[in-house]
Amino acid sequence: MGFRSFLHRITAPKTAHKVENRPLKLVLIINHSLRMKKGKIAAQVGHASVQTLLSAGSVIPHIVDAWLAQGQKKVCVKAEDEQQMNELSSKAKQANLHTSKTIDAGHTQIPKGSYTVLAIGPGYEAEIDEITGHLSLL
Amino acid sequence: MLSVDDQLSMALLVRKDLEMTPGKVAVQCAHAAVDCSLQARKAIPQIFEMWRNTGSRKICLVALDEEDILYWKEKCAEVGLVHSLVRDAGRTEVSAQTITVLGVGPAHKTSLDDLFSNLDLYGVE
Repeated sequence: MGFRSFLHRITAPKTAHKVENRPLKLVLIINHSLRMKKGKIAAQVGHASVQTLLSAGSVIPHIVDAWLAQGQKKVCVKAEDEQQMNELSSKAKQANLHTSKTIDAGHTQIPKGSYTVLAIGPGYEAEIDEITGHLSLL
Repeated sequence: MLSVDDQLSMALLVRKDLEMTPGKVAVQCAHAAVDCSLQARKAIPQIFEMWRNTGSRKICLVALDEEDILYWKEKCAEVGLVHSLVRDAGRTEVSAQTITVLGVGPAHKTSLDDLFSNLDLYGVE
């Protein structure tokens, strides 16, 4: 090791957030009670993802970058109704996971203000699975 | 208040021939939306912000097959619209590197309408 790199090693600031080399994912939970059509679901999940990207990007940028680099894994599952989504959301918050709620503007198929998608993550797959693992795929 | 002509929207063209499950389609659309957003935030930040502030409109349209979706990708490149082609990693329903969705925009609704006027809405049946 050269003198300069030695000096660098002892003086350089430590990286504030270290991302562990474990799979990351984003889980998107749709509100099944609204009976949205396929295209509508796809658009809502799109909203939720972009919203997550922007909000998580400012809170946990290191995780978001790592998630994008891993190929931005997303999984779409369904919850029965708004109540179940609220329960999942508070569990996720307790576990210190990033959450984001998508509310529809109500221009098309469903009433204004409907709670359509809950996004949990991006976060470590193992931690998210503890909360959403039992939900069925869409 | 924006007039209808000034509205911004994002189009997501989904391949119909793959017969993906609704969840799969949703996730692929989300990939496209995130990708387009990342590009747009750099390339056209003002339009991107305006789109975010006006409800981030998105619309899902039908593309018939791979040839069709590639045709539309070419068109978008010609017109100079932000676009992103999603290739699946192939871990679940479709084989690796399958093209699934083309995301276009955010862009003015009129320019998207001009381009995609004869495409059907996806998944309204």
